[in-house]
Amino acid sequence: MTAKTRIILGRLVLGLALLAAWEIAAMRLGLGFVAGPIAVVGRLWQITASGEIFVQTLATAQATGLGFLIGTAAGIALPLLLRLSGRATRAIEPFVMASMGIPIFALAPLLILWFGINLTPKVVITAAMVFYIIFVASFAGIRAVDRRLVAMARIVGARDWAIMREIHGHAMQPYLFTGLKIALPRALSATIVGEFLVADRGLGFYIENARQQADTVGVFTGVVVVTVLVLGLDKILQMVEARALRWRPVDRDMMA
Amino acid sequence: MALLELRGLGKSFADRDRPGQPRWIIRDLSCTIEEGEFVTMIGPSGAGKSTLLNLIAQTDLPTAGEVRLRGEVVSHAGATTLDPGVGRRIGYVTQEDNLLPWRSMRDNVLFPLEVQGALDDAARRRADALIEAVGLKGFERHYPHELSGGMRKRCALIRTLVYDPPIILMDEPFGALDAQTRAQLQADLLNLWTMGRKTILFVTHDIAEAIVLGDRTLVLSKAPTTIAGEHPIPIPRPRDAHNVFGLAGFPGLHEAIRAQVQ
Repeated sequence: MTAKTRIILGRLVLGLALLAAWEIAAMRLGLGFVAGPIAVVGRLWQITASGEIFVQTLATAQATGLGFLIGTAAGIALPLLLRLSGRATRAIEPFVMASMGIPIFALAPLLILWFGINLTPKVVITAAMVFYIIFVASFAGIRAVDRRLVAMARIVGARDWAIMREIHGHAMQPYLFTGLKIALPRALSATIVGEFLVADRGLGFYIENARQQADTVGVFTGVVVVTVLVLGLDKILQMVEARALRWRPVDRDMMA
Repeated sequence: MALLELRGLGKSFADRDRPGQPRWIIRDLSCTIEEGEFVTMIGPSGAGKSTLLNLIAQTDLPTAGEVRLRGEVVSHAGATTLDPGVGRRIGYVTQEDNLLPWRSMRDNVLFPLEVQGALDDAARRRADALIEAVGLKGFERHYPHELSGGMRKRCALIRTLVYDPPIILMDEPFGALDAQTRAQLQADLLNLWTMGRKTILFVTHDIAEAIVLGDRTLVLSKAPTTIAGEHPIPIPRPRDAHNVFGLAGFPGLHEAIRAQVQ
């Protein structure tokens, strides 16, 4: 038996043990308290057949995706713009850091007041959550740029724009991906919480709706779907990262 | 008219130990370099060799004096703006290879052409010819971390040669290499130089290297640095970099230069 099949076998055994423990807990504590995997699979089958799972997942994915994109774009663009002026950076940075202290979820009622019950409040909450993580990561990435590479680029005739694109754009990527990995599950959580508060569809709405009807199986099913969604998106992110950072020696060593 | 002329060049820094009195790293340094000349510059460590090249390449400004390129003053004391590389007219091969780690070997060589907007088919052919000339053919798609130290140096060298600046400064580019690789790179550089007859100012702390490469060797003094002496190297070319001690007149030149390097 090779080491690889051993690991896979070990994972399988551990996974089955966890599922069994979960099912036993459901039987001992009662379905109203913990919904077991068998009940959850049954519900998953139901909502897949009815198509509800797709409607809810799509709604959540839409809000998360939009918020994630906006937050990421702003989180990359602001540090790059600040780089152009050291004085502007020193002036603005404390305000960005201070605004990070504002609890975003506490602003939710205000956002509902401003934007109403639609996609916008969830997108704004998600974008704000993502923005700070990406801002800090990008900022660190730009700070870590090797000055000698910038000097070399200037000597061979590169102008500011080319230097930003070529050197800062690449040197910050490892930092950016670390930020994205942290931001992704948080973005989804932010959307779900937003949907708890105000929504007429989405996975957060589905979970909250099930809770209001004391439908424990529904709550557990919703959580399972969200978890699978996080894992799936993280896998996509990993693939993008492996492609983008092919040039890094460390990543290669760690994969071997 | 000399291609490069340094007139009374000086660089000082504020001295923390003696407030109000600047510490001169380079003082009143003058010399000229002619078109097509290979000049080596040798000096003890701490002689401000890198500082001097930084002043010429304009990654730093002088405190005194001026730098002239074909008679035109390109940098002078009191100037406030830097033009690194002096409008791509001065190439600079530094001690570190400074290759871009996310670019393949070939894309690193093409980088200057790309940012200069000069990347056409003829330029690509020139790059490929240089890659072949230094024995890097077959490694075009390797990333820098997949190349050996000597290969990285070759790549950095031809990255500057590829856009053909009128003068190239080299700051101990082979310093960190083992003796064998070093001799091979010296041989490669001599080959390239014979092909193109570039004007090169090559700084080193290795007397043998200064002799085997140069038409003329300038000896620098300890800081505050100035020119302590000048030695024409009359050894005929081609020279064998792998057998420096077999070069006619080598021991005498070595001794004369060694006596002057403090």
